[in-house]
Amino acid sequence: MLTPPRGRGSRRPPLAGRHRKDGSPPTLQGGAAGGHCGYISPVLQLRFENVRRRFGRLSVLQGVTGGVGPGELLAVTGPNGSGKSTLLRCLSGLLAPDGGTIEYRENGHPLDAAARRRRVGVVAPDLAFYGEMTVGENLEFFARLRRMPPDRGLAVLDRLQLPLDRMASALSSGMRQRLRWGWALLHSPRLLLLDEPFQNFDAAGERIARELLAEHLAGGGAAVVANPSTLELDDVAGRLDLGR
Amino acid sequence: MWRDASTWAAEAAAVFAKEWRCEFRTLYALNTLALFAFTTLVVVSFSLGPLGVERSAGSAVLPVLLWIILLFSVAAGLPRTFVQEEESQTAMALRLSATPSALFCGKLLYNLTLVLALEVLVTPAYLIMTSLRVASPGLLVAVLAAGGFGLATGSTLVAAIIAQARSKGTLFSVLSFPIFLPLLILAVELTRGAVFGDPGGVAVPVLLLYDASLTVAGLMLFPLVWNP
Repeated sequence: MLTPPRGRGSRRPPLAGRHRKDGSPPTLQGGAAGGHCGYISPVLQLRFENVRRRFGRLSVLQGVTGGVGPGELLAVTGPNGSGKSTLLRCLSGLLAPDGGTIEYRENGHPLDAAARRRRVGVVAPDLAFYGEMTVGENLEFFARLRRMPPDRGLAVLDRLQLPLDRMASALSSGMRQRLRWGWALLHSPRLLLLDEPFQNFDAAGERIARELLAEHLAGGGAAVVANPSTLELDDVAGRLDLGR
Repeated sequence: MWRDASTWAAEAAAVFAKEWRCEFRTLYALNTLALFAFTTLVVVSFSLGPLGVERSAGSAVLPVLLWIILLFSVAAGLPRTFVQEEESQTAMALRLSATPSALFCGKLLYNLTLVLALEVLVTPAYLIMTSLRVASPGLLVAVLAAGGFGLATGSTLVAAIIAQARSKGTLFSVLSFPIFLPLLILAVELTRGAVFGDPGGVAVPVLLLYDASLTVAGLMLFPLVWNP
């Protein structure tokens, strides 16, 4: 279970998540809806409004609105095919939405999709690494791409108990998920976008990942977590149900 | 500014090093290029070698065949550059980590070294097996370098475009045709000039200019092709 961030007696009102679909009422559960349109976070703020995305004739996202601020977690739920992964891809900058706005600010500065891609930390089921290289070589390569010292993030990797000298192709599915977490946290991102973040984990792996997420939130980071079922997460600022 | 440039170069170098590290462990592109080049080389040397055609006729035809061997070897191996990233689903991690221009240059450098290695292996063997005499070796080296650069740049750009498509092979052929046609016409003319010792009206700078245009176009187009 996630530990709520400490030392924040008077919490700011969390940013809301809601899904507008054919004029249906918002499906926000938990957290507070609205009432913070003028709020600008000094550290980070993600807001998305009326995000729409189609794939050919299939409309996957039909006007999704929500956001997160420092220390907040937005839980996105919905059945398979409801658009959870598509929403996270749009938020990360990997997919351009057909309509709506996505605004992400760090230290008050707005970041466009290209900058957003390199700033956020992403865990997703279809995130893969080079099977011809070891875990350590993979992480060193991506650390260089992110222009960081190669030894950055070693503490996190140590906690995830990743076998750095094992070929990535020889990892079990649980270890691959640990590698995704290690990769996502490598550059100490302020915003984590987590798509089914605890899948394939054993009990120890899930506990470590939950601890890392709790520490991320306690440190003022934010997270958007997508999962088909409702995860048992503490300190959820808002829930966004994409159920059809 | 210099700090930005050096980190950008370090990023491109990291991509280049990663490509070669993976290549040395799988030998996919090296094997493909070498096997294709060797097969065509043997076929050409048997049918058009010293015993196949008259020396005068051979001198006119053999430069064309050299570039056909290089083109098809490149087409067999280089498009994998980006296709591999999409098929193994590593493209997502790359998109979230790399600066597009640095990624393009890293991949281009890798493809360029592959093409140059191919030329270094194929050209001497080709000249020996076909008994083709070159009047101006310096010009031939310049043409191979400039032509190889063009082949590598064009292949890298087209590989990025086709990577997300379904019928990759067909698309590569269709897109490569307008890009490689001017390049090959220039390269063949200059190679013929090197064989006869008379470059004629075409000069190497024209080929270099075409290379530069391709590189600029690649750097401008790649971020649009690579990202949504």
